Amino acid sequence: MLVRAVLAGDPASFALLVDRHAPACLRFASRMLGNREDAEDVTQEAFVRAHRALARYDEQMRFRTWVMSILANRCRTALLHRHRRTSRVVVDGAAVDEAVGPENGDAELRDAIERALAKLDPVQREAFVLKHVEMLNYDEMSAITGAGVSALKMRVRRACDRLQGLLREDGYE
Amino acid sequence: MSEQRENDELTGILARATPLLHDEPVPRAAWREAVLQAAGRAEVPVAWSVRPIVAIAACAACLILGAAITYGVLHDRMERSARDVVASAGGSVRPGHLPVRFAVEAPNAVHVSIVGDFNGWNPAGLPMHLLSDGRTWEVEVGLAPGRYAYAFVVDGRLARDSAAAESGTDDFGVPNSVVLVGGS
Repeated sequence: MLVRAVLAGDPASFALLVDRHAPACLRFASRMLGNREDAEDVTQEAFVRAHRALARYDEQMRFRTWVMSILANRCRTALLHRHRRTSRVVVDGAAVDEAVGPENGDAELRDAIERALAKLDPVQREAFVLKHVEMLNYDEMSAITGAGVSALKMRVRRACDRLQGLLREDGYE
Repeated sequence: MSEQRENDELTGILARATPLLHDEPVPRAAWREAVLQAAGRAEVPVAWSVRPIVAIAACAACLILGAAITYGVLHDRMERSARDVVASAGGSVRPGHLPVRFAVEAPNAVHVSIVGDFNGWNPAGLPMHLLSDGRTWEVEVGLAPGRYAYAFVVDGRLARDSAAAESGTDDFGVPNSVVLVGGS
């Protein structure tokens, strides 16, 4: 097992763990935080923390679930610290209109669902992404978030309802 | 998993849209290297062998010592440095500085950066990054409390932030905006 190999002093095994789990972790963090750069920061932090705490890893749990629980915490912290000044401006209205022109349907729909996801309450977004993007079961989600299964089911349902509503407002039925 | 199928089946437009979120980003080689280096620099993972009370006492002592040094010896120096303007893009914010997030929508731009009093109006100093919506460029800057004039550089053209509370005086013919940070 890779974790045991790392603990036995084999750094290459940690690289294998990173290679195996980084793509899913980056995806989760990107969906939670809305941009790649922040996602890379928190994912790096999560892996470093995981490495540091590896001796406490419980083999009963899947490694991905464990590292994802650390990552989910880092994402929550990052979101909490986002109470910052934000200024926004549209530089070129014509360019914006142009950009909204005909596009590939899937790309347009992906943009729409990403925008809708960003508008969700973070706990609902977290539950939705874990369930329907990371395809985890409720027990794993509970281990990651610390929330009970029934609360998580409620969050997922509310997230779905809200997403449907937001997509409808965006013209998707 | 059967529970998921029974109760959580996505329907309608969500069933079409959600799979579009499934693409896994390919980790950048430089990022992967940074992770491995950072982990390598971190403490070697060992099973718990230090008695918790000793560890907690050591941590508490370090914290008390750190606080004493901070307030006693370095207080004046920190106050001075807090007045120094240091901008950092996307990184951690220095003590005494406040994170200020600037964002601008420029969907067709290739390169966007921010210039201002905080980086000597150097266009190469603080590049902004494009968010996943494909139109919003963003950067976070750590700023000491104060008043700063700034402008966006969108593909080489300066642009004022129309969302800013205050506009600059354009002393040098440069369109600019003003942000007030913290208790100034």
